[in-house]
Amino acid sequence: MIDERMEELASLHVLGALSGTEARQFRKAMQASPELQELVDRLSRVTGVMAGAVPLIGPPPQLRAVVLAQAAPRQRTAALPPPKFRAALFLPWAFAVCLAILCAVLSTHENQLRQRISAETGQIGAMNQLAQTLQAATNDLQRTVAALQETNRLVNLRIAMLNSLVADAPKTVAVTLWDNQKQDGVFVAQNLKALPSDEDYELWVIDENQQPVAAGVFHVEANGSVRMEFKPGRLIKTAGTFAVTQEIKGGVASPTLKNMVLAGN
Amino acid sequence: MNLSAQFDFVRWLTALDEIRPGKSSFLIQPVKDQETRNQDIELLQRVGARDLSAFAEFYDKYASLLFSIASRILHDASEAEDVLQETFVQIWEKADSFDPKLGTASSWAATLARNRSIDRIRASQRRARLQNEAGVENATIAEDGETANSALYGLEKAKLIQSALVQLPAEQRQPIEMAFFSGLTQHEISEKLGEPLGTIKARIRRGLLQLRDKLGDLL
Repeated sequence: MIDERMEELASLHVLGALSGTEARQFRKAMQASPELQELVDRLSRVTGVMAGAVPLIGPPPQLRAVVLAQAAPRQRTAALPPPKFRAALFLPWAFAVCLAILCAVLSTHENQLRQRISAETGQIGAMNQLAQTLQAATNDLQRTVAALQETNRLVNLRIAMLNSLVADAPKTVAVTLWDNQKQDGVFVAQNLKALPSDEDYELWVIDENQQPVAAGVFHVEANGSVRMEFKPGRLIKTAGTFAVTQEIKGGVASPTLKNMVLAGN
Repeated sequence: MNLSAQFDFVRWLTALDEIRPGKSSFLIQPVKDQETRNQDIELLQRVGARDLSAFAEFYDKYASLLFSIASRILHDASEAEDVLQETFVQIWEKADSFDPKLGTASSWAATLARNRSIDRIRASQRRARLQNEAGVENATIAEDGETANSALYGLEKAKLIQSALVQLPAEQRQPIEMAFFSGLTQHEISEKLGEPLGTIKARIRRGLLQLRDKLGDLL
C-alpha cells in the first residue's frame, strides 16, 4: 500500500520537481518497492501524454536531413568491426611505455646517486674538518715538544764564567757554554794577553773525577778577543770546572798548572 | 496579476460534458493498442541496432511531438531546433537502452526532449524570466486546435486526451504545468503561487492521479 506521502513524492518525481537529495532518496525507495515502481510508470505515461498536449509545431523540413546526417557518421563508426590487434598501432605506445619506465628508473637511480654523493660529500667535509683539527693538535704537540726539547736542551747546557788568575791581566774575562748532551761547547774570551808566536792557550774541561780533559788550543790576536767552538777528546759525564792554561805551541796532553790563566765553573 | 484568472478554463469545461467522473473508461477508448506499442518497441530496437532507416522512420513519427514540446518550453524556435537535434542524437545513441517496461516509446522520447529543454533553460540566464512567465503568460496545454498528440493518436483521440487534461481544476493543473514545462521545483512553485508547500504537493498528487484514472487505457 502506497501512502499519500509516497504518492506525492512519485508525482513530483515524474515532473522532475524533486530536489537532488529528495530525488536520490525517492529512487532508493522506488528500487525497494515494485508497487511504487508501477505507480511511477503509470504517472510517467501521464506526463508523456501531457507533453503531447502542447500546440503542434512542425520542425523545419531541412532539420530532418541534418539530424539524419548526424546519425550517419555514428552509424559508420558503430558498424566498424571490433579493432584487431595491430602491432603498428601498439608499438609506439609500447615504446612510449618503455621509455617512461626507463626514465623513471634512471630518475630513481640519479636520485640515489645524488643522495650518495651528497652523503659522501658531507663525510669528506667532516673528515677535512677532523684533519684540520688533528693538524692543529699536531702543531700544538710539535710546539710543545719543541718547547720541551728547548727546555731539555737548556737543562743540559752549562754556563761557566772563567776569571783571570794572573795579576797583569785582571780585566780578562771568559765564558764557556757547555752542552753536556752534545758533548761540545763554545768558549768566548776578551782582554786576553797576546802570546808569543811559539805559545798557545789551551782550554781544559775538568770532569767529575777532577781529571783535566783537553778541549782545544787557540791563539789570541792583538785585540785580545777569541771565540772558539770546542769538543773534548773524550766523554765528559759531568763538567766541573773550565780552565785555560798557557802552553807551548800546539798544546800539551796535561795542563801546566803554574801557567793557568783562567778558571771557573 | 491574478494567477487563478489565468487558469480559468471555463471555456473548456464544455468539453467536460463529455467526460464525467465514472465515465472515463467509456469515453477514452484504448487509442493506442498493444500492436502500436509493439511497433514502436520494434522500431526503437532497430534504431538501437544502428538501422538508419528505422531512425528516419522514428524521426518522421515523433519529430513534431518533440519539437512542439521543446518550442513550448523554450519559446525559441532556434533553440528548439538545437534541442530536437540533441534529443534525436541521444535517441540514436541510447535506443538500445530503452526499457519498454518503464513506459512507451513516445513518453520516453518526450521525456528526453523535455529534460533537454529544461536543462537548457536552467543553464541560461533566461531562467528567472521564464519562471516569471511560467503558467502566467501562457497556458501551456493547448485550449483547442491541433496538438502534438494529434500527430500521434489522430485528431479525435487527441481531443479526448485534451479534454481530460483541461478538465483538471486550474489549481491542480497550474503547478503541474509549472513543474513539467518550466522545470520549477516544488519549493519554487510554492513561492511563485504563494501557497504552502504541502498544498502544492497535494494538488500535484491529486491532479496526476486524476489524470491517470481518466486517461485509463490510453496509458
